[in-house]
Amino acid sequence: MAQLIWNGLFVGSFYALVALGYSMVYGIMKLLNFAHGDIYMLGAFTGFAILGAVGGVSPGMALPVLLGVLVVTMGVTGLSGVVLERVAYRPLRSAPRLSLLITAVGASFALEYGMRAAAGADPRVYPLRLGGTTVELLGARITLQQVALIIVAIALMAGLNVLVTRTREGRAMRAIALDPRTAALMGINVNAVISRTFFLGSALAGAAGVMAGAYYGKVDFLMGFLIGLKAFTSAVIGGIGNITGTMLGGLLLGLLESFGTYWLGGEWRDVFAFGVLILFLTVRPTGLLGERVTERV
Amino acid sequence: MGRSRISVIAAMLAAASLLTAGCGQGLLDGGSNSGGDEGPITLGMLIPQSGSEAAIGPYMKNAAQLAVDEINGKGGVLGRKLELKVADDACDAQTAVAGANKLVTEGIKVSVGGYCSGATLPTLPVFGKANIPMIIPAANSQELVDQHLKHVFLINGTGTQQATAAMAWMTKQGATSVALVHDNTSYSKDIAVRTQKLLDEAGGPETAILEAVTPKESDYSANIHNILAKKPDFVYWTGYFQEGGLIIRQLRQAGYKGSVMVGDGAVSEKLAEIAGGDAAEGVYATMTQTPETLQGAEAWIAAYKKKFNADPGPYSNQAYDGVRLAAEAITKAGSTDGDKVIAALEAVDGFPMFSGPLKFTADHTLSTGGFQILVVKSGKFALQDALK
Repeated sequence: MAQLIWNGLFVGSFYALVALGYSMVYGIMKLLNFAHGDIYMLGAFTGFAILGAVGGVSPGMALPVLLGVLVVTMGVTGLSGVVLERVAYRPLRSAPRLSLLITAVGASFALEYGMRAAAGADPRVYPLRLGGTTVELLGARITLQQVALIIVAIALMAGLNVLVTRTREGRAMRAIALDPRTAALMGINVNAVISRTFFLGSALAGAAGVMAGAYYGKVDFLMGFLIGLKAFTSAVIGGIGNITGTMLGGLLLGLLESFGTYWLGGEWRDVFAFGVLILFLTVRPTGLLGERVTERV
Repeated sequence: MGRSRISVIAAMLAAASLLTAGCGQGLLDGGSNSGGDEGPITLGMLIPQSGSEAAIGPYMKNAAQLAVDEINGKGGVLGRKLELKVADDACDAQTAVAGANKLVTEGIKVSVGGYCSGATLPTLPVFGKANIPMIIPAANSQELVDQHLKHVFLINGTGTQQATAAMAWMTKQGATSVALVHDNTSYSKDIAVRTQKLLDEAGGPETAILEAVTPKESDYSANIHNILAKKPDFVYWTGYFQEGGLIIRQLRQAGYKGSVMVGDGAVSEKLAEIAGGDAAEGVYATMTQTPETLQGAEAWIAAYKKKFNADPGPYSNQAYDGVRLAAEAITKAGSTDGDKVIAALEAVDGFPMFSGPLKFTADHTLSTGGFQILVVKSGKFALQDALK
């Protein structure tokens, strides 16, 4: 039981990190950024390239080096998110929603197959990997590396939450989410704030990409597709646009998958997880915390 | 008024295109019946060049091209050159059908492709309607055989043959309780279910669990929790290498100490690399002949390396043999007519291939699968037991 919960929470924290970017962008400009999962992939490859350039690292230094790589990667993917918004979404901001959606799908393919052209179709393997020192805790096998990754994930999410709820920047984001035109009239630079939102969301996805690369080891150009869908689902369960809700949604989806596999077998996992989702959304269409409109980003 | 005019124009255009299509058909038919020298004979090859299995594409395409060039160097077939046309199936059913239709309209005479069984299955009727013989080099789900189509020939061992080999090795290793893990694709599930049937017969090892995973994910901890709860002493993964490497790593991390075996789709050096460290050391595999385990293929491997500046990989040898077999059948038939080529393929007896002299069974499969057991040694697959 403890093992199931731990497995679910661990996977869920990845979903949550990626889902935040979806949720923030949707909250602020009502755009489903389907290229977001591919920013995660981009992060994994950026980390791979940096580690390759750094060269051999002694095992004792693995964690500090990875943290450094994580920070640099977050910067790179954050900027890519800004560029993506500037090139693909801003020119279409006043266009019908459907055009934006199609552009997002197009951006997703461009990133996937652009990476394939650049790095090849063969999966790559991280030169530096978090191995497993296993600890037994309440009957669950836990590796210290998993704990470290979860701590990083929680720290990033907590930081984001503070940024959105406590700072001037966050207040501007929330204002635009409520009403972009009025926010602009009040002297908020809407374009700049949207750029920064993309930066934050993409940086988090990039962080998740590096963490996945270092923990699981394998990166390939399509790795963002499935997690993108899962993250989108997490954002919807949690209440898309709501930060705390999105985090909870990610963890919930991880737990649903973990328990679904256990109860019904691997074949039925997705049927179970998504069946519960449909039921849940018929009862609460706004998601877990979706109704607290005032906190929207 | 405007609308009716448009519809008239549309009808005329449609009629015109039908006419030209008809003409094209007529010309092509004339060409193939006379068997004359109207340019090259084209062979079509559907392989994954994008998508999750894109890595396998070049191995097969290069090897097929090598065979085409060698045959052309010796004067071609029926006095005509061979030409290879490649289309992408992305390991996906819809892309594969579109690719197959494209190849058919390009006038291919024999299809020599097919890697993912799930993508190859829906192309059978497409080639069948055009009466194009198919020599399938890699895809080997039993479902391809069970339809008993006369234009379909498999030159890789089938799922049943692979399951039999797996069973033989598990029994030999003294396994008692076997976990079968597949990824729910046609190919992978086929082998797992067939192995389960063999395990369920009296005697020998028993099935501990039949577990399905979702391909293309990174975290399989939930599935592994299920598997380990049944305490198996042997795990058989029948999917591809990307997930295989992750599953092996995560099994070891979760404390599994027993044996692991993988199917032929997972045989790639990347498997051990993805598993990391020495996690994959001692992992067995059921596999047909690969360039590494082939005996007497050094000259062929050298030719491949020289031409493409890369090593041949899984299914290079089968793709190469597929093209040679197609050329042989067209030569024997004396024509590119579908029925005649099919008859020639059925009559093939003792054609030398890497897997041994070829003679098709009534099901159009190899009489022996030629499966052998490989083992991972210092990150590479090496021959463990030829199961002879």
